[in-house]
Amino acid sequence: MNLKIKFMPYEKFSKGSLDEFIESIKEDTIVLIDAKLTAEQEADIIKETMMKVSQKFPGIEMSSIELSNHENLNNFGKIKNAFVEAIIGKKRGMTLIGPAKIVHKIKKTPEELLLYV
Amino acid sequence: MVLTKIKGWLSSLFRRKKDVKLGIYGPVNSGKTTLANRICMDWMGEELGAVSKVPHETREINVKENVTIKNGRKSLSFNLVDTPGIATKIDFEDFVKAGIGGKEAKVRAKEATKGVIEAIKWLDDMDLVMVVLDSTVDPINQVNVTILGNLDARNIPVLVVGNKTDLKNANVKRIKSSFPVYNTVGISAKNGDNMGDLYKALLTMLK
Repeated sequence: MNLKIKFMPYEKFSKGSLDEFIESIKEDTIVLIDAKLTAEQEADIIKETMMKVSQKFPGIEMSSIELSNHENLNNFGKIKNAFVEAIIGKKRGMTLIGPAKIVHKIKKTPEELLLYV
Repeated sequence: MVLTKIKGWLSSLFRRKKDVKLGIYGPVNSGKTTLANRICMDWMGEELGAVSKVPHETREINVKENVTIKNGRKSLSFNLVDTPGIATKIDFEDFVKAGIGGKEAKVRAKEATKGVIEAIKWLDDMDLVMVVLDSTVDPINQVNVTILGNLDARNIPVLVVGNKTDLKNANVKRIKSSFPVYNTVGISAKNGDNMGDLYKALLTMLK
């Protein structure tokens, strides 16, 4: 089996078709997005995934970390981050999404995503 | 995101209190229907739905109307909405392990996927949600984060319920430290332990 890891800029994800996005994951592809997705985007991904579940494609594993929500930040740091994110139009962080038949688990720590394949 | 927040704020402003909907959300097999049954038995004397150890036992939304809970002089009436467990995958192997055959497993999986979609759609209609987590497992996972994030985006008040405290390795403190901004109550829905604290918390949140 050829496992692909694909980098996707957030801008491309947010403007693209969710149907095509999940179809690409079905083809044994792990996608890395350079942002923390919003809760609504995550819910939309789950809904779209559920529409495509079959015995060959049981679903996905997904996890993300948000770099701007670090506990050690003071109020000034948090305001600065919110300002930067408003300008760049995305939450700083990353999101990993892969097919569940390959990615069995993604363990999350505040600064790491551990992928079990 | 902003649009969802405004929509949530407006709907909460104009929502009629007599139609309060209390949702039960959470991942698969966290004990949502067991909790719904416990609440219905405590206050109405009848259960709401079937429970089992097989994942995705609840595959459609179940509503019990006009449930009234009381604590002293305070009381609250609501429609209790039990939802299917939210998941990012449906494991056919789990059904097979539980003795459910190929064709039935396929049907069950299809119903489970529809249940997950329905549960997410119903989020917009909730006035208060209990997010039921299994206190014996690590609460930091994407499903829990996504559920809480979506409720937060809609300005829906949340009570986190750490269920299964009757089990030896239950750890409600781990849930509290993982999601410190939420009011959290540890219970055993199966045995009815600490349900008084859960009812007090609900009355406080919906007063």
